[in-house]
Amino acid sequence: MTNGRARVSPREWASAGQAGGGVTQATTLIELDRVSRWYGAHRALHDVTLTLAPGRVGLLGPNGAGKSTLLKILLGLVPPSSGSGRVLGRDLASAGMLLRRAIGYMPETDALVPGLRGSEYVALAGELYGMPRRQAQRRAHEVLSYLELEDARYRKLDEYSTGMKQRLKLAQALVHDPPVLLLDEPTSGLDPAGREAMLRLLLALGNDHGKSMLLSTHLLGDVERVCDTVVILHHGQVLRHGGVAELRTTRQDRYRLQIQGDPNAFLEDLRLEGVRVIQDNGRGELRVAVPAGWVSRAFFTLADNNGVLLRGLRQDDEDLEELFHRVLAENGPAPV
Amino acid sequence: MGVHLLNYRPWRGEFKEPSASVWPIARVGLRMMFRFWPFWVIYGLGLMIFLLFFFGQYLLAWAETQTAETDVRVGGFGSADPRVLIGVLRNILKLNGSGETYRNFLWYQGYIVMVVLALAGAMLVGNDVRHGSMPFYLAKPLSRWHYVLGKCLAVAVFINMMTTLPALALFVQYGLLDSWDYFLDHARLFFGILGYGAVLTVTFSVLLVATATWLKRTVPMIMTWATMFLFPRLVAPLLVDGLHFDARWRLIDLWNDTYLLGNWCLGIDLEQIRPSPQPAFAEAAAVVVILCAVCLTYLLRRVRAFDIVK
Repeated sequence: MTNGRARVSPREWASAGQAGGGVTQATTLIELDRVSRWYGAHRALHDVTLTLAPGRVGLLGPNGAGKSTLLKILLGLVPPSSGSGRVLGRDLASAGMLLRRAIGYMPETDALVPGLRGSEYVALAGELYGMPRRQAQRRAHEVLSYLELEDARYRKLDEYSTGMKQRLKLAQALVHDPPVLLLDEPTSGLDPAGREAMLRLLLALGNDHGKSMLLSTHLLGDVERVCDTVVILHHGQVLRHGGVAELRTTRQDRYRLQIQGDPNAFLEDLRLEGVRVIQDNGRGELRVAVPAGWVSRAFFTLADNNGVLLRGLRQDDEDLEELFHRVLAENGPAPV
Repeated sequence: MGVHLLNYRPWRGEFKEPSASVWPIARVGLRMMFRFWPFWVIYGLGLMIFLLFFFGQYLLAWAETQTAETDVRVGGFGSADPRVLIGVLRNILKLNGSGETYRNFLWYQGYIVMVVLALAGAMLVGNDVRHGSMPFYLAKPLSRWHYVLGKCLAVAVFINMMTTLPALALFVQYGLLDSWDYFLDHARLFFGILGYGAVLTVTFSVLLVATATWLKRTVPMIMTWATMFLFPRLVAPLLVDGLHFDARWRLIDLWNDTYLLGNWCLGIDLEQIRPSPQPAFAEAAAVVVILCAVCLTYLLRRVRAFDIVK
């Protein structure tokens, strides 16, 4: 069977994708076993092995990391070239259409149907998911009200602002009440207030309504805010995978120092102790990464030994963004 | 934007089969076409052709009841000899309930259909490609076949609204004006009209969807559509009638090919078709089938799944 062509019973069709249809009870959201995908000679994914529990998962990676290919595979649009996998217990290679019924996909691009009005667009999405027409229409109004678009629901899509379009795209992904949301850059193009509101909404959907979601983004703040698990992809491979909190424990401790006096000997001593200078503005302000087990008292000792006055010292931890870039830097260029 | 958590309600219901999504796609396409005002202007022109045939048949039926008179008044248009009127309506305008009546009607309506399709094609299909709507459709639980079928169905509904349905209305009208025996004696015409309509529907829906997917915008669409249908229409007679090339050169004229198939459906002999000579029906059918196959292949390659997530 190729993607989307699996033979399924009408009963299976009817219940696929319903939150009550057994999918939320699944203990595993995504299971990938050595999944690779080739486009001609180009390898987009390489032996990706992942097991993700239901929850809010952030998918991070620079352009060309393989995020889009992974999304396509998870949506059942493209079969893996090798390896196997399951989403909500359904086989990736054979259950394409069933998978798409269980997933609400919010694309990054506008993906609007010009000429339609907001409520028509969302109702159409519902019908395309397989909902009966009247129920799709009723549900469209409910979801639009939930997302505070009730005043704009009869407006043409061309008249929607960027923020409204983002919410509308979320509405069309939510209309059939899927257990899983697949969100591609949901805060793209939003102003700070809109972004904050969208993130609160996603958190609410996850926390209060039990929606699992895979958030593909390059905005680490979004992942840090919403997700409890993060997967970092680079050159088609999983570089890091784990809880956001757990990943934070692997971060490097960093400090900001303010010194007075000749810094050269002091810096040399720091390097000998394994401290990495990340930033030096030349005016006595330093940002350093310390090795594991470092005690801050050592800064004072080294400063004292080198005749430098340590005027300021404060911890400045690595955030997810820095962690992401460090992990990328440490892993170097793609394997050929 | 606030979050109204209490307003979110889960949905519990049964999903329909993926094939059920074909009609919503078609319905949205038709709705967009109906919201396009030039559509109604051109549709009005098509309606005038229908009314011309409709009242022509009515006039014939009335004139046949007036043969005892030598001179009858025709509305406010003056007077005429009923026998002359009958001759004109029956033999020149062919409003005689024969296959030629419906063929001529479908032929004239074909012009209107062409113009509307050229104008609305880009809006119906090209917009999905141009405005990035493909991810919206194809990330849903339906295959590319369902999408293509939905779009073709929208075009098919429109073509049949303009051709098959009015032609069937003329058929019913003629039978009611003539006698019930007409329906029995000319049952083949009923199926012939359906057949001609099916030829137009399949050919032009597939061709339009493929062309619009390729060109996306209205102006190139109109130019290409005109080139496809007007240029061969001018060249083919020049080659066959002017330069006495083989009649098969008429096959380059797709409009003529569908016309030949329509004639075959309505049981009209090849020798009766003007201009003469014409290529064989089977050859015209082969051209149409090959063209449809090429268009479908292109469509399926174009509407590929990996266009969805960029």
